[in-house]
This record gives sequence, C-alpha cells and structure tokens, in this order.
Amino acid sequence: MKKITGKLAAPAIAAILWAILTFTQSEVLLKTSDLSLFLFDWTFLKESFMIPGGFLGWAGSFFTQFLYIPWLGALLWVAMLYAAGHLTVRAFGIPSKLKALAALPVAALVIANMSLGYGMFIMRPQDYFFAPTLGYLLILGIISAVRKAPLFWEKTAIIAVSAAAGFIVSGVFALAGTLAAGICVLTEADNDCAEMNNGKKTGIAILSLAFCIAAPVLLYGCFTRYRLADSWSMGLPSISDDEWTVRIRLSYWFMLGLSLLFAALMPTLKKAVAAKSDKVRFANVAISIIAVLSVATFWYKDANFKAELKMSLAVDRSDWEEVNDIYRQVSTKHLNREKKALEKRKAAISVTGTPEQAQFVVKEYEKCFFQPTRLMVMFRDLALLKQNKALDTAFTMRDGAKEQKSLTQIPMAFQAGRQLYMHYGLVNMAYRWCLEDQVEHGWSYGTLRYMAAYATLLNETEFAAKYLGKLDRTLFHRNWSRKQRPLSADIQKMSQELPYREIIPYMSFSDRMSNDLVKCETYIMKHFAEDRDAVASPEFDRAALLWAMRTQNINLFWKALSQYLSTASDINLPKHVQEAVILYSNLEKEDLGIPIDKSVKDSYAVFNEYFQHARFSCEAEMPASVWFKFGNTYYYYYYFIRGLQTF
Amino acid sequence: MKKHSILLCFVMAIASCAGGPDAGTITSDESLRIFPDYSEVLIPCNLAPANFMIDNEADAFYTVLSNNGQSVTIKGQKVRIPEKDWKRLISGGDGRIEVNVFIRRGKEWAAFPTFGINISSDPIDRYIAYRKMPLIVQVYNSLEMIQRDITCFDEKVYFSNTMVHEKSEGTCVNCHAFSNYKTDNMQFHAREHNGGTILVIDGALRKVNLKTPMTISAGVYPSWHPTHKFIAYSNNKTYQEMHMMSHDKIEVLDQENDIVLYDIENNAISPIENDSSEMECFPTWSADGRTLYYVSNHYESPFDSERFDRILNDRLKLHFNLYAKPFDPDTRTWGPHYLVYDAAEKDSSMTWPRESPDGRFLMTCISTHGIFPIDQIASDLFLFDFKTGNARIIDEISSPYAESYHAWSSNSKWAMWSTRREDGTFTRLYFSHIDENGHFSKPFTLPQKDPESNRKLLYEYNVPEFQIEPISVRPEDFAKLISESDAIPAAFESKRETDNDGNLTTSDYRIDGMTGASVQK
Repeated sequence: MKKITGKLAAPAIAAILWAILTFTQSEVLLKTSDLSLFLFDWTFLKESFMIPGGFLGWAGSFFTQFLYIPWLGALLWVAMLYAAGHLTVRAFGIPSKLKALAALPVAALVIANMSLGYGMFIMRPQDYFFAPTLGYLLILGIISAVRKAPLFWEKTAIIAVSAAAGFIVSGVFALAGTLAAGICVLTEADNDCAEMNNGKKTGIAILSLAFCIAAPVLLYGCFTRYRLADSWSMGLPSISDDEWTVRIRLSYWFMLGLSLLFAALMPTLKKAVAAKSDKVRFANVAISIIAVLSVATFWYKDANFKAELKMSLAVDRSDWEEVNDIYRQVSTKHLNREKKALEKRKAAISVTGTPEQAQFVVKEYEKCFFQPTRLMVMFRDLALLKQNKALDTAFTMRDGAKEQKSLTQIPMAFQAGRQLYMHYGLVNMAYRWCLEDQVEHGWSYGTLRYMAAYATLLNETEFAAKYLGKLDRTLFHRNWSRKQRPLSADIQKMSQELPYREIIPYMSFSDRMSNDLVKCETYIMKHFAEDRDAVASPEFDRAALLWAMRTQNINLFWKALSQYLSTASDINLPKHVQEAVILYSNLEKEDLGIPIDKSVKDSYAVFNEYFQHARFSCEAEMPASVWFKFGNTYYYYYYFIRGLQTF
Repeated sequence: MKKHSILLCFVMAIASCAGGPDAGTITSDESLRIFPDYSEVLIPCNLAPANFMIDNEADAFYTVLSNNGQSVTIKGQKVRIPEKDWKRLISGGDGRIEVNVFIRRGKEWAAFPTFGINISSDPIDRYIAYRKMPLIVQVYNSLEMIQRDITCFDEKVYFSNTMVHEKSEGTCVNCHAFSNYKTDNMQFHAREHNGGTILVIDGALRKVNLKTPMTISAGVYPSWHPTHKFIAYSNNKTYQEMHMMSHDKIEVLDQENDIVLYDIENNAISPIENDSSEMECFPTWSADGRTLYYVSNHYESPFDSERFDRILNDRLKLHFNLYAKPFDPDTRTWGPHYLVYDAAEKDSSMTWPRESPDGRFLMTCISTHGIFPIDQIASDLFLFDFKTGNARIIDEISSPYAESYHAWSSNSKWAMWSTRREDGTFTRLYFSHIDENGHFSKPFTLPQKDPESNRKLLYEYNVPEFQIEPISVRPEDFAKLISESDAIPAAFESKRETDNDGNLTTSDYRIDGMTGASVQK
C-alpha cells in the first residue's frame, strides 16, 4: 500500500499542479504567453545564438507559446517538471527512500515562475517560463551522459563539449551541469566509474571546474552582446530592475546550488539512508512538506492582480462587457463579509475614547474592505465609456488606489500603457509604449499586435505589414494577422471593424507635442481637459466629461458639460452628470436651470440630510461607513474619494 | 529591338533546357514587382549581389541574369545570386546585366519585359559603418555599431553597448566618425554609464571627457579635420517630445547649441561659435580643411526654466541656415563666419552639411523646420554644386518619406543616405551615383543576402559612413576601455579668431581639464 502511495504521490502532485494552473491561473498563463514571442523563422533562430543561452531561450519561447491554450501550456510545463523530478533521482542516484529531495529543485522552478506577480511585466527576456526548466533538464542530461560514459576520455570529452557547446546554447545551465558531473565523478556518486582511479577522478573534476571557468572566457570573443563579468549568469532570466533580478534569481541559484550539493553529498547521504531508515522516512516526508509549503507560501496570490490580468485580456479583445463583469465580480465578491467587518469596526470604534484611537481602528480594518488598483478603475472606466454607460454607472462602483502587492510599483504605462492609450485614441502614445516595451523586454505578440493596429489606424500600410509579417510566422496569432491585412490596406473597411471603429471617434484632437512622463492616468486626464478639437465626437465629449468629473474640478466640469451638450444626441442628462450638476450648483449657489430628475434631487436631499445628523468618531471612519448608503452617487466620489495616488 | 528579341530567344532556350519557361511562354500583362527595386539602377562594379524577390503571385519563378556572354539562372521567388556568379556578371566594369523574369501560374509560363541593372566602373568604398538599432523613443537597450563589407554580405559588430551595460545602468553609443575614410583614426561617443568620447588615434585607444565647465555639453556631432588632428563638434542640449497625432512621431529639439574644436594632440576644447542668440550645429569641414560649414538658427530667448517650452512652441519657426567659417589649420585661427544659404527666408531648415571629398558638391538635408530631419517626413536632400553654382533639392532621389543622414564615398562618385521610403518609419540605407553634370542615378538599397530581410527587420540603420579599410580594434578592447578607464577631461582653450581685416580679436588662455587652473598663453 505504502509503495503504491509512494508511486502515486508524484503523479498526483503533478496532476494537482496542472489543475491549479489550468483552473485558477489561466489569466497568468495567457498573459505570460502574450508577453512572449516565438516565430517560425530562420532569422529568429539565428538571432538566438547571439548570446550564450539564447538557444535555450528560443526553446523556452517555443513552449511558452502554448500557454496561449492554458491547459496545454500547463500540461507541457508540468510534464517537464515531472520529468525533471524523475531524472533528478536517476541522475544523482538519489536513494528511493529519500526521493522527496528531487522535489526541491522542482519546487524552486515552480516558485520562480509562480511567485513573479507584477514582475512578469518587467522580465527580460520573456522566455523565462520554460527556459530554466529546460536548462535544469539539460543539467541532468549532462550528468547522466557523463555517468554513462565508461571511459576516462569519453567523460572528459563530454565535459569539454558540454562546457563549450553547452555554454553557447544554454549558458550557465551547461556550466552547472558540467561542474555537477565533475563532482559526481569525484565523489563516486557516479557509480559507473567506481573502478576509475582517484587520480583520474580528480582530474575529471578539476577539468570540469577549469572548463566552467575557461569556456566563457575563451568564447567571449565570439559574442558582442554582454559583459564578460555577466558570463556566469548567461541563460538566467533577468529583470530590468536590479532588486527584482536578485529576488528572481534566488530560486535559480538555489536550484543550481542544489545540483552541485546533490552531486557532492549523495554518496554520504546514501550511506546515511542505509543506516537510519526511520529517520530517513521522516526526513522524506518532511522534505515533501517543505517543498509543498514553500510553493504554497511563495505562490503569488492577489485578487487585484488577477483581475487586472483578466481585464487586460478582455480589453485586448474589446470585450467591454467582460471587463465590467470582472470588475463587478471582484469588487462585490465579499460584500457580506465587508458588511460584517463594518459592524465589527463600528463596535470597536465605539469603545475608543479619542479620534486618534478611532483612526487606529479604522486603519486596522482597512484591509477588510475591497479597494481596486488604479489600473482596474482605468480599465473599468474605459469599458463603461465604450459601452456608453460611464456617465450613468462609473460612480456606482468602488474606487480607490490600492498599491500593487509588489516589490516595486510597476508603472501603469509599462503594464497597460499601449492598451489605454490606443483605446482612448492616443495612438502615438500607444506607439511610444509599444516601443519602450520592446526595447526593454523584446518583442511580444502583444506589442506586435498593437504596433500593427497602430499602423493600421494611421493608414500606414507598409509599416503595418512589417508587424503583420511577424505575426504571420506565429502559431496562434497568424489568424489575427490575416484578418488585419486587408484592413491595413483599406481605410473604409478598417473604420468599420473592431477595435478601430471604437477608437477613431476618440481621435478628435489636434496634434501637439507632449510627454506623459510615465503617468498614464494624469496624462489622459489632462488630454481630455485640454486637447479637444473645435469639432469633436460625442464619444470624445463623453470621455472628457467623465474625466472632468474625475478631476473634481468644478470649472472643468462646466466646460466639459457645455462641450458634451454640443454633441450629445440625448437631451436627458445621465445620472452622474445630473448628480454633479446638482452638487456643483449647490456648492456654487447658482441654479443654471438644467433639468434634474426627481430621483436625483431626492438622493441629493437624503445625502445632505444624512450628513446633517450623522456623527463619526473620526474623518477616516466616514468613507467605508457611508459607501453602503451613498457609494452609488457622484456626491460620494466628490467628498470621499480624494488624494488618490496614480503612477 | 532586334537585339532584345535575339536575347530573349537565347534566354528562353537556356530556360527551357533547365525546366523553366518553354516555347509557349506568353508575355505577362501585369507589371513586374520586385523588392528591393534594382530595375534600371546604376550600381558600382564592386557591389555585393543585388539579390531581390519577386512580389507577383505565382506558382513558380524563374529568373535569368545575363551580361558579357555570361548568364545565371535562378529558380524561386527569392533571386539570390551566388557571389561567384555575380562577380562574373559584373566583371569588366561598365555594362548592363539584363534580367528576365518568368512566372508560372498553373501550367502557363509568362515573361516580364526585360529590365537592366547597369554597372558603373566607378567603384564604391568597400566598407560602411552604421548603427543598427530598434526603433526607440526614450529607453534604449541594445545598440550595435556595425561595419559591413558591401562587396559581399559580411557584417561585423565592431562594438555593442550591451558589452558595457552593468545591471540596470546602460550606456548609449552614437555618432561614430572616421578620419579620411580610414579606421586608424576614428571616434564614437559612449553616453551615461561609464560615458566618454572613445577615440582611436593612430591605432591607440583613448577615452576623453569633452564636457568642460565652459561648454554646454560634451562633443556631439563630429567632423574630423582632413589634414590635421582636430575634430569639430557641436555641443547640444537635446530633448524630445512625442507628437500626439501625426505621422511624424517624435520631435527632437535642442535647447542650446554651440560648436567647438577639439585639438586631439593638446586634448583641448576651444569654442568656434557660441553666440547665445544663435543655435549653431552640425559642423563639417570642407575637403581642404580650410572652411568649416555649419548650420545655425537665430533664436533670442532667455536661458531660464521656460526656455524649452518656448522652443517647443516655436518649433515650426526654427529655421537653420547654412554658414561657413574660414580656418587656418596651421595657426588654428578662425576667420569671421558668413552666410552660405538662407533657408529661413524660404521657410525651410537646412541641416547636416557634408562636402564631397573632391570639393565640388555639398549635400545637406532640408526640411520645413527644426534640427532633426530623420523624424520629419518632409525632409529631403539638397545639393550645392560649387562648379555650376546650382543649389537644388535632389528630386531624383527623393521619396515621400524622410531622407536624412548622408555620406559621400571617398571618390565623390557615390552618395549613401538613410531613408524611410520603404515603410515610412524604419530607416534603410540607399545609394546613388552622381555624374559629371551633378545628376543622381536611381537610388538602390544596400544588398542583403536574403532580399526579404529588410522587410522583416525590426531594426533600423543609423549614421552610415564609408570606410576604405576594416576596423581593427576588437569589440572587447572598446568594451574594456569604456568599462575600466576614466575619461580624461579635456582642457578648455580660448578661440583664436581674426576680424575681416585679419586682426586677431581674442586672447589666448588655457584652463586645465584636470586641475581647472587657468594659464595665459
């Protein structure tokens, strides 16, 4: 029974991992795929040989494309991880009673990918999902090959080739494999060469070390794209931020270190296993638990991040209903729990004596209430505008500026600049962020699609062809490309198709020079406040009015309202606009005679009435308390959503 | 006509023997579309094979190239001519390669009218150097400085900035320049991390800091003096902004410009022109080294925090004129400058003057405004012919897109420039031959092994320059110098200038770059 359980454990864990990836991480996998690129193109392959480890990246990119079908991509990765675990046991000769040791490097590979979170937007290059796993398999392959070669000269030849050729194709992975193989020979973990004399074994180990040091130095002259000092980290994924790079690489260094450690300590470990079977069983279980717990602990978990990814993918499809649904779901998921938390908070505040103590309690309960990131709000507003619902519903939903759960805050421009700018008609700025992204992280399916769309919108047919030509050489994006090609050559056709027909109305502004200073939201806000053409579209004016309301600037609102009225086809003002009109008219004590619905007048009266009698222990208590009563009005936004940080 | 009929029969005979078009071949009623367009161009006799691809849709393609009794047949949509065969075709200097293209649709072969590739006996310099880079706005990463042998397809990276990137600290490399088409005296700039100007002086490497307390920036756009060890540089404070809605995506603007002279042997910078109401830029030496051409825009505005905004607002009014300034290289003494071409009067802006080595022509860029023509669709090339006195836009090589950075071959027979004619955005290198009458031949692009490569390539070519010899410094030596050596600060010296009567108007002093000590000379 124990044997069966033992045999089934690994496949079961693999199946669970696959299920988790497929059913709970599909947006992460899809986005990972979208941020990568693989071209069925000879030049693309040749380019990979420009740096050591480039070929490994090429192979990694090949597999990454399958994440486009999350279950398939997940299956491929889990199969590789399974193979890695299995081969770890065989390559190092790990005793069967201590097989769990093989889970450690596998756990490191899982953690490296699944702990990334927002880091995925700044990874460089974008082949990181599969390349290190393939690299680890190569390490195991080198160790196995050296073990299987019976003769001294054969082992030496394999070590030489794996250090030199292996370095070219896989960078540091081949060096680690070479060194680990040399250590295996020395420590007799390599059983097959037990008959070899110590001198030869030592010779092979020294040679492997020498090759690992010398190969990158000797081969440096063949390359021109990296620093010599970086030779021993070639092939490892990096991030365009030093702090992130260190954190991400920890998992890889741990995995590479384990390879060397296994090679060095396995004979000793084998002896210990033979002597103490009870302790070994305990250790095996403990190691398994540690591996699983480590993965669970470091696995990146954040509902806002996932919502952002889902919304982003829906924005790419111009699926505005989906964008709103995702926002609605995530913002209302824990409403009951929030209501209870509010009650509890109220009770806790009631026993405090001072406003400072009440404020402390409010702070303590802050995490109980949903707060979106700015990007979620931006995506939501964009979707509502595209559906012409924004001025009726944008302020019925939660607002906020929750910080990313991230080592550093990734600017919105990096993450979604091209999407937001493109869909708001700021096409040159979308172009800019496509370029910045490709310079920092290389081309991806996403940037190629947006560049093609940009060129199509500006009727730059030849320029569009450049990017469509690349997408033609992909597996999962060629159909998109083929559909776009006729649009890029026919402005009439293009203007009737999505997403173009929804973008063109926003292009009602004249050229001027500008710079977003990496602040998307501020830039878009300023754009709608300042850049309107003499003749604008209703879509532009609707967006300008929404953005004017977001600024909470009364004068800007009146200006945007008059522009809105000049192009609006419906004479009935949307709900939030009426709310703003009644609020601002009262604040300025001036009645402009704009017709307001009775329901709005009543809600404003109730709002005023409430605040004449309501008592709060401190100002910070008000927003969450009041949200359940007035969170669906513009008055709430005006008074309680202040000082949001955007980036 | 008769000659052509005989030739076509000859070609058909070859073709039918090789399983290509047969006697039933008809004449195609559509026009032949090839990329790159080498039809009826004039190429130098030592150019790499002019490979091209046929854009017409067909089931099979068959091309016959013939000249001097030699013929080469190529099957396939991509006409990649083996280098040996190409050499046979272009041997003998002047001549014309007749190109016959056939396509098959179903079972029917169709022939296109013959076109020619004309061969000039004027050779072109064997090497060109350029920067190959992705399109960039602000962020840069990989910038490669490349030397290409244009008699074949060998391309060698002579330096890449990624060899000196340290973690997130990047180094930008730009503005390579070569002395007299040779590579034993050359320079380029490394900016930001470990920055400095990298000089090769008679084969030896030196890294210098050309920013002095008295100048507004380090050296930017360079021009090597043809006979003495001087380099003229512009000093620029450059910024850029995005167009919100225009086919011109970026506008590069300078807030301040001056021009300076770098005396290599004395490691000293001295001003050439630094009038605060003038924006002087793009210095370039005449062939004899006794005149410096440059461009300047008159702009009066205080040097306060609002200056850039004012320049931005006035950007369409920034019109650069062409000036010249006499120079005596032996005494390093300047004469008073004079206006060569008043572009402002024509609401134009003239930039990048380059004189041909024989001293007959001066080519510039001309556009509607500003200083950075590469980002302006309206930019064209402009030619001064000093022999005839003609000054004109070179219409015969212009395109609807930006024509910019240009260079003359060492024999003054060929011009090379970067143009965005292929897709409006990516710069590609084009060449043209200039004849005795100052007329340019139909432009052709730099041949590539895979004729489709420029279509696929998401990089652009930048700052093309001719050389007659390969660059001998190894990339790792440049990298070592940049990474490990501190830039030697240049000293600042006063300008020696005479007035119109030849009287010296300036005093001589030197401020040491290391110590800052001032010495009267």
